[in-house]
Amino acid sequence: MMTAQLSYDAKKKSVLFLLAAAVVVWIIVDAATGGDEHWARVGVRLPLLLTGSGDGWPVTGGFILNVLLSIASMAVATALGTIMGIATLAQRAVIRLPAFLVMNFLRNSPWLVLLFAMLYIIPYEIRVFGMVIPFPPFMKAVIGLALPTAANFSEVIRGAVQSIHSGQWEAARSLGYSTRQIYMHVILPQAFRRMIPGWMNLYALLMIATALATVTGIQDVLTILNTSLAMESERALVYFYLTVLFMFFAYCYPIAVFARRLERAVKGDNI
Amino acid sequence: MLDLDYSWLADPAYQSWLVVGVINTLKLAAISSIAATLIGMLGALALTLRIAWLDALIELFVEVFRNTPPLLQMLFAYFTLSTLGLQVTDPDTGLSMPLLSAFACAAISLSLFGGALAIEAFRSGIETMPRAIIEAGQALGYSRWARFWRIEAPIATRISLPALTNILSNLFKTTSQASVITVPELMYYAGQIYNDNFRTMEVMILVLVIYVTLVSILTYLMARLERWMAFPGYGKAAS
Repeated sequence: MMTAQLSYDAKKKSVLFLLAAAVVVWIIVDAATGGDEHWARVGVRLPLLLTGSGDGWPVTGGFILNVLLSIASMAVATALGTIMGIATLAQRAVIRLPAFLVMNFLRNSPWLVLLFAMLYIIPYEIRVFGMVIPFPPFMKAVIGLALPTAANFSEVIRGAVQSIHSGQWEAARSLGYSTRQIYMHVILPQAFRRMIPGWMNLYALLMIATALATVTGIQDVLTILNTSLAMESERALVYFYLTVLFMFFAYCYPIAVFARRLERAVKGDNI
Repeated sequence: MLDLDYSWLADPAYQSWLVVGVINTLKLAAISSIAATLIGMLGALALTLRIAWLDALIELFVEVFRNTPPLLQMLFAYFTLSTLGLQVTDPDTGLSMPLLSAFACAAISLSLFGGALAIEAFRSGIETMPRAIIEAGQALGYSRWARFWRIEAPIATRISLPALTNILSNLFKTTSQASVITVPELMYYAGQIYNDNFRTMEVMILVLVIYVTLVSILTYLMARLERWMAFPGYGKAAS
């Protein structure tokens, strides 16, 4: 049984390898039969797509801006989501019910619509104590993407905390720990381990959603694809689309694989 | 701070735009949800056959669609299928026009995206099924196919339902991105309305509320379905 299992996986891996090889061969054949001039166009534009400036420096946009946007949004979402997640676990209904309401509203709203709404609801600048805090489109995109991510992250936290066996609660209680101490010393350290795969999956999802930020007008990879490529021939555009699709895939797929591996590792420790 | 003005809602033109938008959104969501569920079931079914090359192909399909932005998939599908794709000649005007409308391209692209997610959901449903049930079926002398149709498939479907609910609500939300390729759904008409009356914030808040309401109804119905389908004494519904 064990050897059959291995050979099946090995077979599958070799087929995947063959598929990858077939793609490479197809690209070479296509390049040899006239595709190379399109690829050359992609090569010329590649620094622009990645960094937003034709020479590759300084970084003003492009795919790197998407990455920065995803990191900034994830930081905000992690902080917000933690607060929201803890609020939905609160004993008091006064805290729990509004938190649930906000969480469900954010979870049920489309990312694109939420992003659009934030674009118009957040003012251009806020005056606090005479200080003017400007809100450029990038900040609005960060907030617009962070809100649904935070709601999803609070669900991850809730799931992780509730997956801790109730015996842990009873044991800690019988040892005289207070609720706060139980969370700090017993539940959260264990739940934290189980949150990480969900958190990483969420990050991959957020990275994919940064493509939507093009509606805020920031110079992300999609904006550049749409604007500066109006001058390329129609055939070449296919190559540009494939290149940008591959950028996202190359960034997100390793994260997804790593998250899945962690998930499997965490599944084992069921106390 | 917020002085919202919704008097424009009384205008029948805006009302009809909103209604048409909601109907088109529902249509797009329904078509792509059904197609995605079918793709998911067929894909997961194909995986149970344990054919290495088929498994590899399906994995490639799932990973590519899961790890790239659906917006980009839609733009690419629209561009390749509509702009470069099949052209037909309009008999009335004699002009050549794309065979597939923006709506069709969005439906195809969303079906594939949702299908890729659904394959994963059904696959993990089949995988997490308790081994004991399969062994009990074997012990009772069920044939391979009878075991699949009478025992494994009904249980796996029920295990996968919560994940499927998530995917379908995700898919419903993603239909709003079809507005980018000019599919006349709710989000598209929202743009039309605020370009006309400049009440951007009011329109966006209204559209957000409409979407949240529709998605909430969908998840509620799926929860009802889950409860209705539940086996007495098996799974979450039992407790």
